[in-house]
Order: sequence, then structure tokens, then C-alpha cells
Amino acid sequence: MDVTRTVGLDRNDAIAAAKSIYSLVLLLLLWEFVAQYDMVHSYFLPPLSDVLATFYELTADGTMLEHAYLTFRRAMAGLLLACLLGIVVGVLAARNRIVGWFWDPIIEVGYPVPVIALVPVFMFWFGTGDLPKIMLVAVGCFWPVAINARNATREVDENLVWSARMMGTSDRRLLRRVVVPAAAPGIISGVQIALPIALIVTFVFEMVAGGGGLGHLEIQGVRSFESAQVYASLIAIMIVGFTLDRGLRYLRGRLLAWT
Amino acid sequence: MNRTQAHRQHPPNAKSTHETMVDGHVTITELEKVYESGDERTTAIEDFSVTVPSGEFLGVVGPSGCGKSTLLYLVAGFLEQTTGTIAVDGDPIDGPGTDRGVVFQDYALFPWRTVMGNVTYGLEEKGVGKEERRATAQRFIDMMDLDGFEDKYPKELSGGMKQRVALARTLAYDPKILLMDEPFGALDQPLRESLQDHLIDIWRDLEKTVIFITHDVEEAVYLSERVLIMTRHPGTKKTTVGIDLDRTQPREELVLSDEYTATKNDVWQSLREETTPGGER
Repeated sequence: MDVTRTVGLDRNDAIAAAKSIYSLVLLLLLWEFVAQYDMVHSYFLPPLSDVLATFYELTADGTMLEHAYLTFRRAMAGLLLACLLGIVVGVLAARNRIVGWFWDPIIEVGYPVPVIALVPVFMFWFGTGDLPKIMLVAVGCFWPVAINARNATREVDENLVWSARMMGTSDRRLLRRVVVPAAAPGIISGVQIALPIALIVTFVFEMVAGGGGLGHLEIQGVRSFESAQVYASLIAIMIVGFTLDRGLRYLRGRLLAWT
Repeated sequence: MNRTQAHRQHPPNAKSTHETMVDGHVTITELEKVYESGDERTTAIEDFSVTVPSGEFLGVVGPSGCGKSTLLYLVAGFLEQTTGTIAVDGDPIDGPGTDRGVVFQDYALFPWRTVMGNVTYGLEEKGVGKEERRATAQRFIDMMDLDGFEDKYPKELSGGMKQRVALARTLAYDPKILLMDEPFGALDQPLRESLQDHLIDIWRDLEKTVIFITHDVEEAVYLSERVLIMTRHPGTKKTTVGIDLDRTQPREELVLSDEYTATKNDVWQSLREETTPGGER
């Protein structure tokens, strides 16, 4: 996926977007057709129309929004925390020998660890509330943010740094004035890569530990044999993910108009 | 030097600037730069001494890989010499300073800043107020024929325009010494020539000391008051050649004149001895 592609908000973009999803519409029609004619048992695959009806009911009575808000809040809080720490660690690891010496091996080892494996450990330590969920999201998102920030900082053109220094920028101000702006495209890519991780971790944690949220709503559907609710929750998480991804792309376009 | 000066058409009251100006002379004494990586020691610059008086335009030519750029970055303070000293107006340099301004071959503009933002950067760092900053920057933007492009980002500009922005950016914070690292090397011939003439005007009006690195003999002879020829690996000063041309004539006549051809040939011969096979690689 190309995270550098930005989105605008005008009409042409909307038309182009509609044109690009015809295969998706075809699949959804196939789903409705297969389910309506009982080719698959409706417990496993209820007709799309039933799912949409359930989605509407849950949205109308506020349940869906309440759960979506919980998921959104946890994912965003964790991602924000990861960004604050990850950008600082990544940039400093590239610019400061001691910070790099300490963090480089940790980043290399931490990045590929499947963070979901830590769900039980975090439940063990912090219980099943918001705290362990936000913390684990932060842990999962930290790696891609930090590694991208570090690599982007390493690749900052030395001539830019020299240019700033010859014009009188002190070492202390160099990071803020030149290094971070120059590395910004890579740093923001890291945040965009971390976004789906934030959603996955939140969703899985909610399924396992409960406490509300779209993951909880979905697993509840399974447990109460409400398969339409399962798929309705799925649609909701897709909408949340899609909206956040577009939001970040929009933000990227605004912040990096110069690229 | 007085002769060339007269030919450069200094205004009468600036006639003796070279003698009266005390700012911006560079003294390089027994400079040596050794790069070390592991057990390997590569000598880039060796036994290099030269004095560049205030206001001189010194061209530096040499075969590729002779350490021309290393020399420039040492004077800029970006690199640290192994031994020897570099002094500006008698004071040994300690890292980069606003008394020296580098113009890079690849422009090195800040891509997140507009043309105006790039040109005001050095003034911001000096603590100049916003109004004055913009006024000064505008003066150099106009001087470089960039008016109308103040709000463009570097990515929206052509190579020649980027280099003019880079020049405006460096001139705006008013360094005494311009260090130019093949600044026109990536540009096509007509553009290069027009920027060369532009640079001569600027040098004449603003009275800067210029050290201009190039691999192009014609460029060096056309621009400089004196050309320094470097030996190939390790780089050291081979010789300097004073350039004495009648600059009152237009470019197309100048480049056809006998003096120009002869001087160019001298420099070219001297450089050729360094580039032809026979010398160790």
C-alpha cells in the first residue's frame, strides 16, 4: 500500500473513488444472492440485507456509536502515545550516538514481534480495562513509528544540515529547525503504517478481554448466535479504519504540501 | 591585482577596495586531510597552503577526485582537517560560521520552505526582525530575477532557478566569503553562462571573496582573477595562474580574444598533465 498517496475532498475524487469500487459492489451482490438462495446456511452467512438491517438498528439505538467510540478512543490514545515516544526515540537514535547505541538493538528485535502475543501478559499485569488496551496499542505502534522516524532521520541530506549550520543554526536548534522537517515525510509514513496495527490490537484485545468496543460487540454476536451482529460489527470496524486512513492521508497532504 | 581590478570596472570610489578592505581574507597553511576507515588511510589533501586576499575571486580546478570539494568543505568548517590551519582574517576557524557561505552543486534548499522562507532563513537565525527580514530577502530575490516566485516551493522550480534561490539565500545573510562547489555544474550551457555573468556582477557589487570550485577550465578562466590548479590524488596546490583579461569587452568578444585563448590553454595544459595516464591512479 502506498501511504504517500494523499486524498483531497473534491467531487472528482469522489467520482473516481466510486468507480474504483465496482468489483467490491459485485462481491456484495454475490453475497446477497448466495445467502438469499440458501446456498450457505444463514447462520454462517446471513444475507447482506439482514446484516445492513442489524447495522441500522444498532446504529439507531446508539449501541454501535458507543462501541465504535470506545474502539476509536483506545486506538487513538495508544497511537498518539506511540507517536510521541516513537518519534523522539527514532529521531534521537539517528542523531545521537548513545541513544542509537541503546535503542538500535531494541528496535531491531522489537519490530518483528507479533504484539498480539502480549495480550494475555498485559491482562495479567493491568487487568481488562482501558489501560492495558491503550498500553498494548502504544507498544505495537511504537516500533513502526520509531523505525521509520529513525530511518528517515538517517537519510536527511547532510548538505541541508550543513546549510543550516553555516547560516548560524546552533546544534540545539538543529533538530527542530531542519532535521525533523526534513524527515517529516518518513515520520508521517511510520504513523500511517502504525494505524492499522492500532486498530488490530484494540480489536483483538476487546474480543479477548471485553469491556466494550467493536471487538467486544463482534465476539458477543458469536456467543449469542447473532451472526448478523458479527458482520455488522465487522462493517463498523471497516468504516472506522477506512475513515482514519483517509483522515491521515488528508493530514499528510496538508502538512506535506511541499513534497 | 590592481590591473584586473580596473578591468573589472569597479566604481571609482571603490578602486582601492582590495587594499582597504580587511574583511574576508583566507589563509590556509600546510593543510592536510586524511580519511581513516578501519586500517585504511586515504590522504585527500596534502601540504596545501594558499592565501586568498579580501575580495579576490579564486577559481580552483583539478582532476576529478583530487579533493577540490574536500578543500572547500574544510574551509567551510563542515569537515575537520587532520593538520594545518585555516584562518579567516587571521582567526583560525572553528566549525561553520556565518562569515562563510557555501553554494552547493545540488542547491541544498530547504524543500519545506518557500523561496521567501529559504532566503529569510539566515536572517531569522541572526535575529533580524520580520519586516527587515522580508525587505532584505526581497532585495536578493529581485537581484536574482526571482520576483513572482516568492511563494513557490523548491520542487516547483527548475534547476537554474533553484541555484539562483540558493545564491540569494547565501547572499542574504551577508557572509564575507562565498565558497562555491561547482554550483553551475548541473546546468545546461546557456543557463550556466547567464549565471556566470550574474555572479561576476554580484561579486563586483557586493565585494565578496569568492573561492569557486569547478572542473571546467573555461569557467574558471572566465570568472576568476586567479586560478589555482590542484594535482591529482592526493590533492595539493600545483600552481596558480593570474588571469589578466580585458573585461570591458562583451563575453562573445572576450572568449575569442588571444589573451583568453592563451590563458585558457596554459591552465588546460597544466591540468592535462594531471589527468593524462602515466600518473598513478
